[in-house]
Amino acid sequence: MDQGQHRRRKTWQRACHECDLLLLDAVAPPGQKLVCPRCNATLHRNPKNSVHYTAALSLTGLLLFVPAATLPLLHFSIFAFGGENTLFNGVMSLFDAGYYWLSSLVLFCSVIAPLAKFLLLTFICWGSAWALLDRPVGLAVRWYQHLKEWGMLDVYMLGVLVALVKMSDLGKMEVGPGLYCFAAMMLVANLTTLSFDQESIWSRMARRASGKVA
Amino acid sequence: MVADGAPGQREGGMKLPLKARARGMSCCLVCHQLVTMPAGGDPRHCPRCGARVHTRIDGSLMVTWALVITGTLLLLPANILPVMTVIYLGSGEPSTIISGVMQLYHAGLWGIALIVFVASIAVPVMKLLGLIILLIQIQLRVPLIPLQAMKLYRVVSGIGRWSLLDLFMISILVALVDMGAIAQVTAGPGSTAFATVVVVTMTAARSFDPRLIWDAYDERRAAVHEERDTRAQEQQRGAPGNA
Repeated sequence: MDQGQHRRRKTWQRACHECDLLLLDAVAPPGQKLVCPRCNATLHRNPKNSVHYTAALSLTGLLLFVPAATLPLLHFSIFAFGGENTLFNGVMSLFDAGYYWLSSLVLFCSVIAPLAKFLLLTFICWGSAWALLDRPVGLAVRWYQHLKEWGMLDVYMLGVLVALVKMSDLGKMEVGPGLYCFAAMMLVANLTTLSFDQESIWSRMARRASGKVA
Repeated sequence: MVADGAPGQREGGMKLPLKARARGMSCCLVCHQLVTMPAGGDPRHCPRCGARVHTRIDGSLMVTWALVITGTLLLLPANILPVMTVIYLGSGEPSTIISGVMQLYHAGLWGIALIVFVASIAVPVMKLLGLIILLIQIQLRVPLIPLQAMKLYRVVSGIGRWSLLDLFMISILVALVDMGAIAQVTAGPGSTAFATVVVVTMTAARSFDPRLIWDAYDERRAAVHEERDTRAQEQQRGAPGNA
């Protein structure tokens, strides 16, 4: 036992990404999380069946994206005049008014980044089953990590609600069918972020690589 | 459950917890793989995900300072210039972020006013202030409580995205209320400045390396220990002579 401990002491498994402390544990047990004893950073969360849940959820998100992006979110009318809002036409009218930077930022955070997150996760979860796709999947995980915080569906949702309340005394405000799909997509996006664990993808790839060598 | 903490204490006479940098290793910030760094402190590519790994983010403090100063300067036009104009039945004037909040408050919608105030005024200001506090604590000899600093860092890097709320609302209203003379919402030049503030502060929080907090803390603690040791030695040396 003494010898075992001695051997174990030398194999550092992980360093905390927020305080650089060397640790002997690399992964959390299933369903639990690993916390840095020094700075309380969450080092690793290990949701059960991460790959399966993420694959299913990101596919659901992709399906929900179609109605959420095409159907009107809000409908506003004063007397006989009315206007509609979809995910794209706000961006379009800002672009037409000459606010290129603002409109591309709104487009990126509310459409491109969330869509890319769903696409990348679908690709990562399905693609990690084939050895042929190891490199692109690794690249996709990297891209996903960089894109992660730019998907702002929840912030957009709050923006819709603020607009709804703010304009309701000016005219008649109606919730469109697209908003329900959008809310569902936002929920699914958050669940996907929670269920995705990149460690399980890396270990899946490492297991396959070691199996091939042996 | 909790990982094996502070192993340095068991490994001989060291008083400080063992850090990856002391062992010539580093954590890949993208995939969290432990990577052995080449000698001389050069960056290398992570063998697992291919991202560039630095022992500490390259020029972290300098880049963060630059972005924080940019953000602070941009906060002025973002708050002075109008962000949008609501024209209703031919009347209406441009409103800035603050006057938009005041309008909501005076209309009795204080809940919404509070949300907009927090998202578009409190969050950017708090974020810039928080980063400045962290940078000063690292660079100057100011008291530093690392766990508190970490809490501040996590809040600063977590809340930033919510300040885009106002811009999303503008983009929704611009499309929704577009009825010519009866009612129309148009964006104002302040919104461009505000969008840049949000992007700049989010990038600033990303470029700040929290490991530097612990480096500064460990350095100061090591200095205190050293001072105490030398004082103890001096006392020992001085004691026989006095007696």
